[in-house]
Amino acid sequence: MKKLFRAAAVAAVAALALTACGGGGGSSDPANVSPTGEIKPREISWLLSRPADGAVINIMKKLADDYAKDHPGFALNFITTPDRPSYIQKLETLAAANKLPELFDTDATPFAQQLAKQGKMVDADKLLKSLDVYDDYRPGALDYQRFDDGSLYMIPFQFELEFIWYNKALLQQAGVSVPKSLDDLPAMCTALRDAGITPIAIDGQDQWPLERYVAYQPFREAGPDFIQKLKKGEAKFSDPAGQKTVEWLASLGRAKCFQDGFSSQGYSDAQNQFTSGKAAMYNIGTWELPSLATDKLNPDVRDDIDFFTLPTTAGSVTAANEFVSPSGIGMAVNSKTYDPLVSDFLKFALKKYPSEYAATGALSPTTNVETAVPANATPLYKKALEKANDLGDKQAMPWDTQLDPTTNGRLQQELVLLVQGNITPEQFTSTMDSTVAQNAPKFFK
Amino acid sequence: MLPNRSRLSVLVFLLPPLLLYGVAVLFPIVQSLFLSFFSWNGISDMEFVGLANYVRMLTADDIFWRSFFNALGYLAICLVLQLGGALLVASLLTSMRRGRELIKTLYLLPAVISTVAIAFLFVRIYSIDPVGLLNQLLHWIGLGALERPWLSDINTVLAAVSAPEGWRFTGLYMLIIYAALLSVPQELEEAARLDGASRWQLFTKIRFPHIMPVWITTTIMATTYGLRGFDIPYLMTNGGPGQSSELLTTYMYKTAFSSTDFGYASTIAVFIVVECLVAVGLILFMLKRKADA
Repeated sequence: MKKLFRAAAVAAVAALALTACGGGGGSSDPANVSPTGEIKPREISWLLSRPADGAVINIMKKLADDYAKDHPGFALNFITTPDRPSYIQKLETLAAANKLPELFDTDATPFAQQLAKQGKMVDADKLLKSLDVYDDYRPGALDYQRFDDGSLYMIPFQFELEFIWYNKALLQQAGVSVPKSLDDLPAMCTALRDAGITPIAIDGQDQWPLERYVAYQPFREAGPDFIQKLKKGEAKFSDPAGQKTVEWLASLGRAKCFQDGFSSQGYSDAQNQFTSGKAAMYNIGTWELPSLATDKLNPDVRDDIDFFTLPTTAGSVTAANEFVSPSGIGMAVNSKTYDPLVSDFLKFALKKYPSEYAATGALSPTTNVETAVPANATPLYKKALEKANDLGDKQAMPWDTQLDPTTNGRLQQELVLLVQGNITPEQFTSTMDSTVAQNAPKFFK
Repeated sequence: MLPNRSRLSVLVFLLPPLLLYGVAVLFPIVQSLFLSFFSWNGISDMEFVGLANYVRMLTADDIFWRSFFNALGYLAICLVLQLGGALLVASLLTSMRRGRELIKTLYLLPAVISTVAIAFLFVRIYSIDPVGLLNQLLHWIGLGALERPWLSDINTVLAAVSAPEGWRFTGLYMLIIYAALLSVPQELEEAARLDGASRWQLFTKIRFPHIMPVWITTTIMATTYGLRGFDIPYLMTNGGPGQSSELLTTYMYKTAFSSTDFGYASTIAVFIVVECLVAVGLILFMLKRKADA
């Protein structure tokens, strides 16, 4: 009996010791982007949040196979979780356990910035320069990935522009035209509702689509700095720019801009509403070009679809060609596992990636290649791509990548209540200002 | 009484499951208790904050209290549907002569369907655009005025997310209660019938007291399951709109894995453990008092 107890005690201690070993910190220098030594092929992993059969994964899979031909034993293991909220939870849990793989996806969130500060990510600025590809990238694509202090730790694989797509026939039916100002939207919604048309289709379940709307008015009213200040508690929703967005969102709600029961409808529900001709508008990025601007689109609405970019407002401090132009979730390189092999593979892959990616009809994050318009595209496809050529310098950042996680979660919840008319603008303002005050200082100290 | 040697062997064989239980159940609870005294986001150093997390939870967190009351509402709806429904169906089954097996199987069916499938199924049932089953039914029977987006309306969402959970396990508890009802001695019932007892009297004076031990176990099971309810509300509404369908469990999960506030999430976890223990204690206490009365 005693022996048994002793054995159990030993096992328990061993288990504890093993767990403790897993918690060891990274020892590599994040600024050392050119490790020297022999390239020893092995399997490396990429924890990522991208569609499993999307262009990025398909191309990287092919490039990894090509690389493995010259480096037997090399393999790139894709660990995919396309659903963003689940992905973020996985990433944060793995980071907490210090078990991140060689490559992992992340937005330029405050959490990622903490990882970077702890030296867990390779300096992408230095990395891209050392690979001699830095200058190929669109400045906007890199800027989207930067932290507030201008440092760069993520590599973009996409470049997207977000538009408000609309159905010309439905607008005509309601006797309204493309809004000249953001402030025209509520009245437009009322007119569309009166004509029996759902004004805007939105994916309420995923929460980020509605959160885009909260960013628009402050970006026009006070520029990109507003969110930078707000997230640190230096600006407030009770400030003029904040109040403008709160009042505007409440008015979108009063005008019943979004489909009934939107908060429990998903991505494909919203897209179906628009592409089946039930909803007049739909706010989405160029990643949906294959379903909105090719012959895959429902023939009944195909000739009626067009888009407009984010409208400006009277006295807007940002220009009409400045709107949300994200370069997607970025890829970070784990500094703890960065070695000659990872470095050599990235060099190989990043040089070849842009041309392969542009050939699929998508906008490359670099400027050294031209996007091939697919054979089944409608004229709208090219028109959308061309918008990338005359972008302004400032870009509207999605707020979900900017705010600390607790404030972000609360904002997403309160926004639905505000737009559904369950709370007043005053309640929204006071809840959010106190949430920011409570949580921001902890994250941005 | 077992002889000494076999008592020892029973103890020896009980030890491995006990150890497993300790590692899988007790250790995490102790760990949560430990973590609840810290502020920790998973990647920075842990900071000892004493009782600050508890003070915040009990005095300064509106979402916590909202989730707590939501969880009680969720529990009440689940219990009524599960225990009430189970008792009703089981009683009716005992007086059926044919087709019992079919009915039993049909009622049990939801318990074997995965939660994810159930959640998606009910999202469709509650939908208003495209019109789901519930709104369609209301329209057909002339109650069109009641049509609404059940999961987006803050007044209906809690009931809407509770119903699938209640519906799902009715069959399981029905089976248990049905088995208990079958064990009621026929002679007793017949004697009571001869004495002129009505069906209701038969049920309240003979059948129900007889199945009381099983009823207590079922109530404890349903209560603890209800207090732990997580997946269906999480999948259907993610606690929304606002905090209308937020439960303590979903709030704890979000605090840990979305807000990366592991210390505070552990505090909520400790509360849930205590809450479950209190609930079971209360049930036992009330039933004992009733039995003594």
